[in-house]
Amino acid sequence: MSINEQPYWNAFTETLPFEQLRAYQLRKFKKIATWAYQNSKFYKEFYDKAGINPKDIRTFEDIRRVPKVEKGMLRDAQRKDPFPYGDLLCVPLEEVTEYRQTSGTTGQPVYQADTWQDWEWWSECWAHILWAQGYRPTDRIFLPFGYNVFVAFWAAHYAAEKIGCEIVPGGVLDTQARLLKIKEIKANAMMATPTYILGMAETAKTKLNMDPTQLGIQRITCAGEPGASIPSTKKRLEAAWNAKVFDHAGATEIGAWSFECAAQSGGMHVNEAFFLVEIEDVDTGEIIEEPGHRGKMVITALDRIGQPCVRFDSKDIIEWSEDPCPCGRTWRMIKGGVVGRADDITKVKGVLLSPSAIEEVVRGIEGLGDEYEVIVDKLGDVDRIKLKVELLPGHEDQQKSIEAILKDQLRLKTNLGYRLEFYDFGRLPRYDVKARRFKDMRESH
Amino acid sequence: MKATIDKISSEIEALKLNAERLKAMSEDLPALNRNLMRVMASIKMLELNFVDPFKP
Repeated sequence: MSINEQPYWNAFTETLPFEQLRAYQLRKFKKIATWAYQNSKFYKEFYDKAGINPKDIRTFEDIRRVPKVEKGMLRDAQRKDPFPYGDLLCVPLEEVTEYRQTSGTTGQPVYQADTWQDWEWWSECWAHILWAQGYRPTDRIFLPFGYNVFVAFWAAHYAAEKIGCEIVPGGVLDTQARLLKIKEIKANAMMATPTYILGMAETAKTKLNMDPTQLGIQRITCAGEPGASIPSTKKRLEAAWNAKVFDHAGATEIGAWSFECAAQSGGMHVNEAFFLVEIEDVDTGEIIEEPGHRGKMVITALDRIGQPCVRFDSKDIIEWSEDPCPCGRTWRMIKGGVVGRADDITKVKGVLLSPSAIEEVVRGIEGLGDEYEVIVDKLGDVDRIKLKVELLPGHEDQQKSIEAILKDQLRLKTNLGYRLEFYDFGRLPRYDVKARRFKDMRESH
Repeated sequence: MKATIDKISSEIEALKLNAERLKAMSEDLPALNRNLMRVMASIKMLELNFVDPFKP
């Protein structure tokens, strides 16, 4: 078997017997928590206050007693010196080579310091992802993202280089120019958010009279939104480009921790050699070990040293998958990817509602466009939900039948009734990066 | 598997020792020092893949 036919980036760690993997995670957790405790004022004070000394960690039970870090704590710690990383920093400032930041959508951005070793680690995480998804040195990858302060696909770029792929940076170009460049240089793969991938296909058809399925894109890796793990969205993405579409999950403060492999068996693997993922029951706070029970992810990046991430309360809602993946990796899978965020899942009329459930319905109905908008507000004391959708050109005369199907499916999948509004194709907002399709207006009342 | 891992691990250790010896000579040589900083980070990735997971 040639090197390019090898299915694993690292066969030794990706197929490590599970017990050995867990023992390794335990050793690494103790090491990174001790490092953080000894080198960051934030972790020292935080653990001292909780009566925890990481050197005493012996078991996973001990790990569960280590207090969780929340995003707000990171912001507070960064109000101190050294600017801008504050008490989170574990290395001298001159060892920091990479600056990134979170988007700041939930408040002040978190500034992320990485050393060169951390940056190598980022690209190593991504190299596992890309190799598992079938990227090889023969690929020419187009990256249509704004190379800027957000981590986005930066590490994917470095990982693709590490693997030996040819990378075409599509930074400061508009969507039409990017499409023309893909065609000109015959790129065969790309990476972007699901929203942008769908938007590119629409632009190709409507603005350039170009058929995206004929551009030769064979493989697309998505991130930033859960769409590529939502079956109806994945189906639309694959149909729009005639390409295989893969999901991945990562975050600025955490790293690239999860990925869908080439087997695409209905979930994403956790890179358990580089991360410790724990799933916490949202109500009881107990750690969920068994498959099939959703909870909130608490995650540790086991090797990130500049600004460590130890038991970070990510708010991502996930569940362990029951079935092993046919790919042979021993790294566990999370079923259906990241299914939502604890702070996105909201109660409407007393019913828990996840925006991704609405997306699954809308994009599963032929005749509806990719875009939609959900607005929750109140009439008096009663919650209301409005769903705006677009009819695809040529389907205008089917509005009544589509409306009936949509109502039924929404009731079935979300247990809620909606006020539906239909718009002509192209009327709802389009998004270049992360979409904001869910608007909860109840607090403004 | 164990024999392969042991052999790879031992070669990585030798590589690391060489890099560390060169680093000790790099105090006045930015081109040596800063390139070695990158080499050491790459060696760390080799350790994460082939050494650390197999330590007792």
